Amino acid sequence: MKSKKKIRQADNAVAYLLMTPWLVGFIGMWLIPAIISIYYSFTDFNLLNDPKIIGFANYARAFTQDETFVQALKVTVLYVLILVPLRLAFALFVAMLLNKKHKGLGLYRTLYYVPSIIGGSIAVSVVWKQIFGNKGVVMTLLSVFGIHQTTSFLGNPKTALSVIVLMGVWQFGSSMLIFLSALKQIPFTLYESAMVDGAKPSYTFFRITLPMLTPTIFFNLILQIINGFRVFTESYVITDGGPLDSTLSYVLYLYRRAFTYFDMGYSCALAWILVAIIAVFTVIIFKTQKNWVYYESEEG
Amino acid sequence: MKRSLKKITALGMAAAMAFSLAGCGSGNGRETTVNGGGTAAPSAETSETQANSTESAGEPVTLKITWWGGQGRHDYTQKMLDAYTASHPNVTFEAMPSGWDGYFDKLATQAASGSMPDIVQMDYLYITTYAKNNSLADLQQFVADGTIDTSKIDENLLNTGNINGKLNGLVLSSSYLSVGYNPEVLAEAGAAEPASSWTWDDFIKTAETVKEKTGKYGMAGGPVDDTNLFNYWVRQHGESLFREDKKAIGYSDDKLCSDFIKMWADLMAKGAAPNPDEYAAIQTLGEEGRPVVTGDGAMLTEWNNYATKVSGTNDKLKMVTPPMVAGSGTMGLWMKPGMFFSIAETSKVKKEAAEFIDWFVNSEEANDIMMAERGTPVSSVIRDYMVASGKLSDQQAAMFKGVEDALALCGETPDPDPVGMSEVNESFKNAAYSAFYGQVTPEEAAAKFRKDADAILSRNN
Repeated sequence: MKSKKKIRQADNAVAYLLMTPWLVGFIGMWLIPAIISIYYSFTDFNLLNDPKIIGFANYARAFTQDETFVQALKVTVLYVLILVPLRLAFALFVAMLLNKKHKGLGLYRTLYYVPSIIGGSIAVSVVWKQIFGNKGVVMTLLSVFGIHQTTSFLGNPKTALSVIVLMGVWQFGSSMLIFLSALKQIPFTLYESAMVDGAKPSYTFFRITLPMLTPTIFFNLILQIINGFRVFTESYVITDGGPLDSTLSYVLYLYRRAFTYFDMGYSCALAWILVAIIAVFTVIIFKTQKNWVYYESEEG
Repeated sequence: MKRSLKKITALGMAAAMAFSLAGCGSGNGRETTVNGGGTAAPSAETSETQANSTESAGEPVTLKITWWGGQGRHDYTQKMLDAYTASHPNVTFEAMPSGWDGYFDKLATQAASGSMPDIVQMDYLYITTYAKNNSLADLQQFVADGTIDTSKIDENLLNTGNINGKLNGLVLSSSYLSVGYNPEVLAEAGAAEPASSWTWDDFIKTAETVKEKTGKYGMAGGPVDDTNLFNYWVRQHGESLFREDKKAIGYSDDKLCSDFIKMWADLMAKGAAPNPDEYAAIQTLGEEGRPVVTGDGAMLTEWNNYATKVSGTNDKLKMVTPPMVAGSGTMGLWMKPGMFFSIAETSKVKKEAAEFIDWFVNSEEANDIMMAERGTPVSSVIRDYMVASGKLSDQQAAMFKGVEDALALCGETPDPDPVGMSEVNESFKNAAYSAFYGQVTPEEAAAKFRKDADAILSRNN
């Protein structure tokens, strides 16, 4: 009969062994490159030669001399601020619809979820480009209704970003599933007692559903904001940052600086600035948590 | 008994997972971008263990080679590689072709990780950057010991690969800016075919006539995709695009730039040239789908090998030298080195690579397959051979003859593009586009280009 300690040790060993592939990936593909990129951010490194340390010059340059940096930041923040509320709203709305029992429910759930799996891919981006681009489906359809455009939505600096946002909103499926499962966890007794008291549906939504969902909203909000800041594929494939940098996402600019302009050191600095920005957003949301997120377990 | 069975199963699964990692190691480093790793900058890949044998001649050697081009070029180049392997059985190739888009981004990553292919097709646009950073081998040693025969190559053209005293690339072909046109579309519009002596006013008139009479694009190219056409314009007016020390713009009057931008803006306003949105849609169609090839456009600005390149799809296209400035005899045109083959400094099989490059440039067998698709061959012997062989199509024969005519209109070949050129090109395009979109006047666009370009050049040179 092995001692309890030996059994625990043996179990731990197996646990570590099973974790090894992920650990190797995490350390090798994330931790070490992250540390190296912090180092690069303080250097002048053009990918072909050894990096030369230049202190905070890269960071200073971003904030004082780089207009494109400001533009990219503007585009990305705008993208996040419009996309996230829209996406969460749609996700919640559709989740509520799918919470009822009707025929074909499983089918609808799958259909709404599919865009978010395939959505961020290059193939879909190319299709999106065709649909909204010059002489594409949308432009042709509009002309059938008598609206003739000289430039498509994607060719117009004022509307190109909306098309990219639309693609993001279309991929609300993953948030929707999370909301759906959260909705199912709201105890039915709450609704029962409300119905007994003669509450209207809108009342139950704002007074029961929404407050009970706030932890999920909180989670989704943080996740979507972080992901929103990292938008790259749509921006790169559909418009390559154009027209006139109106869809130049931050990460796309960062990539271009690194690989097209041989400016890796500066690009690493940009990357860590992004980390800081996302961190700021996340901290703000966490700090305000007490004011609007309701955790059932805390209630006395 | 039960517990040890569980343990064995667990260990077995762990081993299976560990073994599955082995599948990731080989091959060209397929990148797994997992969602979790996002915010850190894409930093240099760790070098991978590539199958790269280092034995000398006679022993099996694998040459990694990369080039850009369309599908046609990929196909025939692969045939060339096979032909070389047939005559040199110890040499096999690992070919990594791609399109022009993203080719240099990929190369930069490979260079950073020390895994640049042995033979790299290189462009005048980037050769300075790679040369200055010692990423390319000095081919002079191979010229000196006879591995690469350069005796039949024009001295000036050969020297374009010479940067900082090292021969960083062997020029493969020469090319020059041209206007390609579809004679059928011109005939439809009742416009005359251009001659070498035509002027920019003739060009504009032709473009506008085509639009009026046929509704098709008079000029369907991308005049501001890079600064090459603008450089031609600048040179025609007796100026130079860059200052001698490459730290700033070389011409003094911004009117030169704003006139150029205004010319295209006017054509777009009349519908004779595609606006940026329409042009973006055209670009997705690929080389063989462009309006001039399909008969939806009359002219475009390109390098002189364009007609040959697309002759598979449309073999009626013709090329002519670009328009002259009325009343001026200044030679703006220049013989550009079309492209180079360079050898990576990190290559362990430089000698075998040099031998292949020599075969590529100087052998009749190679050029019979290539048929000047990459541009006019640099070797005078090969040029004579090809003309005499009677195998040239009409396009190719016209291209060879065109070189003779163009030489008369050429001035000195400019220095290779300075470091930071791709950024300068981007800023020129952005400045021009903001004028095309009507956000700024051409004058403001010209001033902005000067400001941005000066900053980029002084930072990099």
